[in-house]
Amino acid sequence: MNTYAWMVLAKVKAWTRDHPWQADGLLAVVLFGFSVPQVVAGQTGPAARSVFLAVTFLVAATVVPRRRYPVAAFTAAAVIGAAQIAFGVQTGGAGPVFALQPTNADLAIVVLLYTLAAYRPRPVSLAGLAVCLFGSVVAIARWSPAHTAHPAGALFGAAAGLGGVTLTAWVLGDSVAYRYRRAYYASLEERAARLEAAERARVLQEQRARAVDESAARLRRIERDLHDGAQVRLAALAMTLGEIKENLEQAGDDRTLALAGAAHQNAKDTLAELRDLARGIHPPVLDRGLGPALGILAGTSAIPVGLTVAVTERPSPAIEAMAYFCAAELLANATKHSGAGRVTIGLREQDSGLVMSVADDGSGGARLVPGGGLAGLRERVQTVDGRLEVDSPAGGPTTVTIELPRHA
Amino acid sequence: MTDTSLRIVIAEDAAIMRDGLTQTLTRRGHDVVAAVADAEALRRAVEEHQPDVAIVDVRMPPTHTDEGLRAAQAIRSDHPGVGVLVFSQYIETQSAAELLAAAPGGVGYLLKDRVADVSDFIDAITRVARGGTVLDPEVVRQLLTASRRGDTLAALTPREREVLSLIAQGRSNAAIAGTLFISPKVVEKHVANIFDKLGLAPDDNDNRRVIAAVRYLES
Repeated sequence: MNTYAWMVLAKVKAWTRDHPWQADGLLAVVLFGFSVPQVVAGQTGPAARSVFLAVTFLVAATVVPRRRYPVAAFTAAAVIGAAQIAFGVQTGGAGPVFALQPTNADLAIVVLLYTLAAYRPRPVSLAGLAVCLFGSVVAIARWSPAHTAHPAGALFGAAAGLGGVTLTAWVLGDSVAYRYRRAYYASLEERAARLEAAERARVLQEQRARAVDESAARLRRIERDLHDGAQVRLAALAMTLGEIKENLEQAGDDRTLALAGAAHQNAKDTLAELRDLARGIHPPVLDRGLGPALGILAGTSAIPVGLTVAVTERPSPAIEAMAYFCAAELLANATKHSGAGRVTIGLREQDSGLVMSVADDGSGGARLVPGGGLAGLRERVQTVDGRLEVDSPAGGPTTVTIELPRHA
Repeated sequence: MTDTSLRIVIAEDAAIMRDGLTQTLTRRGHDVVAAVADAEALRRAVEEHQPDVAIVDVRMPPTHTDEGLRAAQAIRSDHPGVGVLVFSQYIETQSAAELLAAAPGGVGYLLKDRVADVSDFIDAITRVARGGTVLDPEVVRQLLTASRRGDTLAALTPREREVLSLIAQGRSNAAIAGTLFISPKVVEKHVANIFDKLGLAPDDNDNRRVIAAVRYLES
């Protein structure tokens, strides 16, 4: 067949798939149409012929609801078929009931067996197959006296014909069902896998959010412990050493005074180091919110900073800390590398998250290089599904935009 | 150090620092009339004792953020006779400036580390108690670094910058002279030059001078 014919076939297939009722109705009409000559050929009166036509029509019509009600349709056809075998076949004495003679429309039973095999579980379709084969055997047995010339050959032919057609219909239907089932199972499996992946992603996301929040809380706790513990003790120690030093100054013991002086200086230096360390862990001003924290950052910057904060609802502490450290690092970058005269930091809400932009009027050319500061920031931001974009053409200006969710 | 004994209230939530300060100040002849651990107790103690000065930690319960700073501002407005020295583990220029703007005179802002230099610390307390202004050198350094007036500041000589820094810390001309080992006359000349270069009105009042300097650096 040429491509055009295939195309037509594909179109027809598509149409029958999309219009099952019309397609099956057409099938019924065809079955009925092929039977009409047989009915007309019968030697009988108009009344009996009408009944015959009606029965034939009924048989053909069973294929119409086959997809929706395969078992009912099959049962109806099988019942009519059984009646035909019982009463429509000429046997020794009594003449056949004319209206119940078999016709081409009985092919409906084969179609319905196929439908049963295709759309219903195998036990049901096997029962249907058994009914059909049993019906075939009985029909052949009842027909056989009519073929007296070569009984064995005729019997074999009838058995092979009827059995073959029946089996073929069932096998065809069953293979279609097998394909359907396989596709159905595959789709089920795929869906299950998708759900599982989504569930895993959700669980992982939750775990990550918890981990991010916990680590932020832990850092805050460490800072507070340092503040309330080591820093205070060290300050008290430095104060005592300071007093000792001043007392020794009056006593005039220069050697001990030098020792006390060194210890005093050491304590003060350690205090300063400890303070820097604690502030690096968690700037306490963050507890008052991102606005004040950024304000202090801007206030202590070596280059002028224009700060605009438009945030009504505070994000989670972990996100606040992340935004703060990003701003601090970007500001430090601008101060060290860009030669900028002014930096603008903007923080605003967007959809469900925050957008922070840090822009300077410096020389530009900032790049995201693996292992570099900007790449490190981006990695940090990405741990909470945030984004970091750098726009820094040679010659400037440089704008770094960071998008963060409200919660990790 | 000082001839007069000061009546002092201490508000500090860390017991070791509270006790240490109390003992040190007592040894130096001052009268610590109350040592409390939170802002509410501080308010009551100040009301009850009407001390010369209150030493207030910025971070106190319940939120450990800036209770002390708020309490200090409240004391300054409710009890103008009580000086307040706020001390903090960290320097927050903005808080210091806020404090200074709200109450010219009778306030101080120091890094907690400064307790290590006992005499200087007690000197600062005394100045605040007497209505003076004390600003931590670190605050002033940050103000100078972050000041948007970089070009004008560059016009100052190194010695003038030193003097400006000491003015902003709340030092009198005499104290500046002592610190820099120069004569009071020379200090006066430097001060006049600085105020001239920065376009500020000359002022002999130490507190107003501090505020002018800080406002200039801040703006």
